[in-house]
Amino acid sequence: MMDPNSLTSKPLPRLTPDNTPFWEACRRHELMLPWCAACDRAHWPPGPVCPFCFGMRVEWRRASGRGRISSWVVVHQEWLPAFKSELPYNAVQVELEEGVRLTGNVVGVPNGALKVGLPVEVVFDDVTETATLPRFQPMGTEAASPAKDA
Amino acid sequence: MSGSISGKAAIVGIGQSAFGRFLPDSQLGLGAQALRAALDDAGLQRSDIDGLSLHMGWPLGADYDRMAEVYGLEVNYVNQAWTHGRFVTSALQHAAMAIATGMATVVACITAICFTRERHILGGPGDQEGMREQGATHGENPVFGLTSPAAGAAFAMQRYMALHGATSAELAAVPIALRQHARLNPQALMQKPLTLEDHQSARMIVDPLRLFDCSLVTDGAVVVLLTGADRARDLRRLPVRITGMQGIRSGRDEFIFAPPNLGINQQPTARVTPRERDLVAYRMAGLDRDAIQGFYTYDAFSPLVLFALERFGFCGPGEAARWVQGGRIAPGGELPVNTSGGLLSEAHVCGWNSIAEMVRQLRGEAGPRQIPDARCLQWGTCWGDSVILQR
Repeated sequence: MMDPNSLTSKPLPRLTPDNTPFWEACRRHELMLPWCAACDRAHWPPGPVCPFCFGMRVEWRRASGRGRISSWVVVHQEWLPAFKSELPYNAVQVELEEGVRLTGNVVGVPNGALKVGLPVEVVFDDVTETATLPRFQPMGTEAASPAKDA
Repeated sequence: MSGSISGKAAIVGIGQSAFGRFLPDSQLGLGAQALRAALDDAGLQRSDIDGLSLHMGWPLGADYDRMAEVYGLEVNYVNQAWTHGRFVTSALQHAAMAIATGMATVVACITAICFTRERHILGGPGDQEGMREQGATHGENPVFGLTSPAAGAAFAMQRYMALHGATSAELAAVPIALRQHARLNPQALMQKPLTLEDHQSARMIVDPLRLFDCSLVTDGAVVVLLTGADRARDLRRLPVRITGMQGIRSGRDEFIFAPPNLGINQQPTARVTPRERDLVAYRMAGLDRDAIQGFYTYDAFSPLVLFALERFGFCGPGEAARWVQGGRIAPGGELPVNTSGGLLSEAHVCGWNSIAEMVRQLRGEAGPRQIPDARCLQWGTCWGDSVILQR
């Protein structure tokens, strides 16, 4: 894993015992969510137990990858030097059909077209040889996957 | 209320350093200035202090042990969180609880911060909070370019605007009102009038938050001294009693920078009017919201003021952006908010500059910005904790 405090490289996911299945699935271009085997609900963030019933049997299941933007922002301030060339760039929270909200970026749409409620679907971006990030694109976008997802 | 902490502890001294940017003093140096001023204000000696309750410490600011060592204190009670707006209220509450339970007799709340030298921690590669194993509190996610607490306030405001039809121009009423207060406070760093045009033409920081929606980045220190109500009566200044308090609300229907159930992170979505458990500070103080003559809140970002007003029911859910129009929270308004100018226009002393201002108001020492006959003021944050102060 790259140094998260590096001035020149983008931060990469920090794998933990709770979230490793999510990031490993992303490398396979699959969106997986933690589900409680007892009460049959997805939850986020990944944790050691189900936050609803406190069940200990958490399973990982493939998610639809479809959802809607529940909120969005556009970053104008230069905070992370590695993102400077992309300013202004968006970040969104997406409510998946499974009911959880993930944070990510939307590709394939100008920032001016972002809006709460916009239907999106997941795409995968292999940012390094060992890390893949889930991003989102407007639902039904043709061949709009990031170049690295060719 | 039998056994209640209400009225058992009082603020008996306040002190502050100069406020500014790139001040030459160390953080502990500013703290020493403020501590001296607070002891003089209260008529207490340094040796009277036997407790410390701090909302600051690693990774930003000095820990309690360094403070005690550098200032020559000898204390028997310590409560320390870390530098985060969400722990301001609990630092004050723990001071009161330590006094009420007899664990300490005089507690100092010391906040001393040089944000201008430590600003890397507020966002960017130095945002250690955002890279923690469990991630950060305000929606930060550096992997996707999100760093800084501003991101969380922006997520909440964007959704709030979409759900309730609020606008950036309406939001501007918050920083404009606070600037009007600041202009009545010679200590405030921002003295230039702020207009709607200034607000709307300022650069975006993180859309929808513009420059004047974000707090100042400054240096300064504030010290607040508390003791028991009995002892307080014998001291130099009019005691300001803590009569009501309630703690941080947390759970899956909460996001630190949003009203309950706005739909940020994993919050459910629902319209929530204040529930009984959201209003216990009023009950403890034995009064109704109508008795509040001024409201003070952690205004790191202007939307937080709207969300705090809704949280405590000064207006209904989704109504605050319109409610603050027409000077309602400005000087002379129906509910003046952050009358020293707050973090947006006075200085960013982590909210303690507003606590000190409440004390000045209740003593009748607020000069041209004095709330007439101020008797009862509320500190309440958008994450739901609160302290009610009365004289």
